[in-house]
Amino acid sequence: MSGLIGIFAFDELWSIARFIYYGLMGLQHRGQESAGITTVKDGRFYTRVCKGLVEEAFKEDALKGLPGHIGCGGVSMDPAVSQPIVIEDRGKSLALTFSGGLLEGDLKDFGLALLRELSKSDPEQAALTVMERFKGGYSFLALTNDGHIVAGRDPMGVKPLCVGGLGFDLAVFASESSALDVVGADLSREVEPGEVMSVEMFSIKRASTGYSRRAYCSFEYVYYARPDSIMNGIHVYEVRRRIGLLLAKENPVEADVVIGVPETAIPFAMAYSQATGIPVEMGFMRTGRSVRTAIKPTQFERLVGVQLKLNPVRAAVKGKRVVLIDDSVVRGTTLRNTVYLLRKRGAKEVHVRIGSPAIVARCPYGTAVPPEDELIGRALKPDEIAQVIGADSFSYLSVDGLTEAIGLPKDSLCLGCFTGEYPI
Amino acid sequence: MKVLVVGDGSREQAIAETLARSVKEPRIYAIMRILNPGIVRVCESTGGGFRRGKPTDPVQVADYAEELNVDFVFVGPEEPLFHGVADEVERRGIGCIGAKKSLAEIEMSKAYMRRLMWKYEVPGRLRFKAFKNVEDAIAYINEYAESLAIKPARQAGGKGVKVIADLQAYLSREKKKVKAKHAVKVVKEHMRGYTDIEDRILLEERVEGPEYTLQCFCDGKTVLPTPLVQDNKHAFEDDLGPETGGMGSIAGKGLTLPFITMDEYNRSVEIVKKLVDAVQRESGEYYKGVIAGQMMLTDKWGPTIIEMYSRFGQPEGENILPLLETDMVEICEAILSQSLAKVKLKFREKATVIKCLAPRGYPDHRELAKGHPIWVDEEAIRKAGGKLFWGSVDTVDGSYVTGGSRACEIYAEADTIEEAAEIAERCIPYVKLLDGWGLFYRSDIGSRRLLEKRMRLAEMVREIYLYREKKGILGKTIDWIPGRGKIEV
Repeated sequence: MSGLIGIFAFDELWSIARFIYYGLMGLQHRGQESAGITTVKDGRFYTRVCKGLVEEAFKEDALKGLPGHIGCGGVSMDPAVSQPIVIEDRGKSLALTFSGGLLEGDLKDFGLALLRELSKSDPEQAALTVMERFKGGYSFLALTNDGHIVAGRDPMGVKPLCVGGLGFDLAVFASESSALDVVGADLSREVEPGEVMSVEMFSIKRASTGYSRRAYCSFEYVYYARPDSIMNGIHVYEVRRRIGLLLAKENPVEADVVIGVPETAIPFAMAYSQATGIPVEMGFMRTGRSVRTAIKPTQFERLVGVQLKLNPVRAAVKGKRVVLIDDSVVRGTTLRNTVYLLRKRGAKEVHVRIGSPAIVARCPYGTAVPPEDELIGRALKPDEIAQVIGADSFSYLSVDGLTEAIGLPKDSLCLGCFTGEYPI
Repeated sequence: MKVLVVGDGSREQAIAETLARSVKEPRIYAIMRILNPGIVRVCESTGGGFRRGKPTDPVQVADYAEELNVDFVFVGPEEPLFHGVADEVERRGIGCIGAKKSLAEIEMSKAYMRRLMWKYEVPGRLRFKAFKNVEDAIAYINEYAESLAIKPARQAGGKGVKVIADLQAYLSREKKKVKAKHAVKVVKEHMRGYTDIEDRILLEERVEGPEYTLQCFCDGKTVLPTPLVQDNKHAFEDDLGPETGGMGSIAGKGLTLPFITMDEYNRSVEIVKKLVDAVQRESGEYYKGVIAGQMMLTDKWGPTIIEMYSRFGQPEGENILPLLETDMVEICEAILSQSLAKVKLKFREKATVIKCLAPRGYPDHRELAKGHPIWVDEEAIRKAGGKLFWGSVDTVDGSYVTGGSRACEIYAEADTIEEAAEIAERCIPYVKLLDGWGLFYRSDIGSRRLLEKRMRLAEMVREIYLYREKKGILGKTIDWIPGRGKIEV
């Protein structure tokens, strides 16, 4: 998974790197392994890509080495793929940022194909041609060394992409509207499934492949997206609240307190509390900075992350029947650790509620789901999971519940990781 | 009867055509810098004529008017007014629709207009600072991290305005640099050659909200407002891209727009009236011509003046003139005899949409947009239900060539804005550049989506300004600076 941003200033007075830098911070939740920025000036690329969080990757001086009024950037959770990827061919170059997955080929193939098409036809036509050839679920932004930004979203719209503006000066593309908010841009609209847009000094053009069906990634609503983002016309925060309401309805339990696993599950817990009347408490304190544990690449890092992130507050849980709400379960190992800690701090009962259905299948569109034999939800029934993690009860949100919470028709969603059925 | 129209844009075509509709069947003459095919046609079909000349040269205009012995002159654009065309024409004993120089200063000097607003306490005024040199402006910019509109102190063809929202402290340093660089550009480029005012640069508080234009006829005693028009300034769709002179506009149906209330309309008219009073008191002359407020509904004031026009907007004028049912010659005669109070303006009840087509390169690289042969199938446009206004197009050896600005406009009317937009959309393919150079326009103007966006924005600011009004702080800036105390402006 990754987050991408591209900014085009129509006035050459702007120096854009700092805007991209803060925009990337607004997308940090989509990838914490590496961050990168490419800017273009006088036909030349300036690129810096580093491991780590955005703030770690870019110290003061690093931004100074990124001149120009046009640029793009990416954050990535895949340690093997740092973005932007710079591709060169026959004297032309392209910086690619990409979020999602291809069914065949890799990002380099995609970038090279795009670069070659760009030398043959208009940017938007070139992007359409490449999108037709490379099937998958993705959104991308490409910057050319002659100062074009080309943006596109696959015909199913699996991964999000939006566009906005800052006054008369900037056009901003980003994976999520949260990045637009951070740079002070106003959201104009979301790029449509199958739509490509190209921006240069004198025009913004669009074209579309058309689409057969939409398949918006449902996991974005459950976990990836920031709750202050708007995605496919839906406020992510509202989805998270509805998930909490539906969890309360689907699997009620008698309890004294509701706590949510920070930070994604907090709105679930708040809504669950409102629906049931069971008070919500701040169940955990964090040590160190906010990290997204589920997207950490190794088990060790995930566990360390969770242990640092989730120190239960004794006074909130001691002697109480606790409803513990989390967004999803992949392997169950970190959840097991959390339940154990709650018990140790005196929780009398622990009832686990998960704000999404069981993850049972891989994701062909770039979400890093471990091999299927590592998925606890595929291997074990909820009762067995309760036993394994040491909880008094365990239940998921149903697939229908999730669909209802998102509020879009079921056939416009990709629910592949929960059902094993993919749109393509 | 003979009338001389000054100017060569789409606005002047609309003025000429509206005059030509009069029962008095005037012969229309025009003085133009470039030969606008639309105006040429009106002149020819009414038995009038035209001359290639300098509309900004008072002597040339007055000579031509005298030579023709016209009944009156109608000045379309602002620059001839700034140069004193109305003064010279009137000096020769010929009636002129168009403000005299001292009155047109309300548009020419943005600093003058703001000073008037403060002096006469006209509602809808914004805080501003005018500077005579760029160093002082930069010093100010560097001291305060504020959201600003940076403007050339003089009207410079609508160019050179930059609005920068400076709300994120972490991006403030970057924005300060841009503000300062732009200030230099304003003085060095946009204000270059303008010696008719002393101020060079204006820094104005930035406001946010939906914009609209209120255009009025004025005879010095009576101000007659016309229906509101909303122009779209961004070059590209979805309100993206650089600021232009306007890529298209919507109006109607009726007096107001879907996102402006009648109360706001009335307040806007009051503001324009107060400004007419103020500028007349300052200059001692009667304002005879067209005056327009380029306005914004803001959370600070409700209706707020962004700029003043001493003429019809372009393209805003073209939205309302085709709907005018009252005889335009009669209106002009009433302005000249200061009996506008007796005239009742009537407009057909239609919604109108204008879409502008501009050659690639517009607005910031006009040298690229200039010199391309253009082809228009006016008959096909008419059949599709639209109408063409010629813009920045010259006639060279009988063929049409782009002048660098918006080349032409498609006008359409219907019962709703969306229907009118659809008609205009169908006409777009009938305009082409023959050398294959790109021509762009905005397909979203007049769309429901854009309209809803304006309505949402209007509702947001309306809620705030009405709250401020209730609290008695409408238009006030109340600040608390630690260590200095409460500051009220």
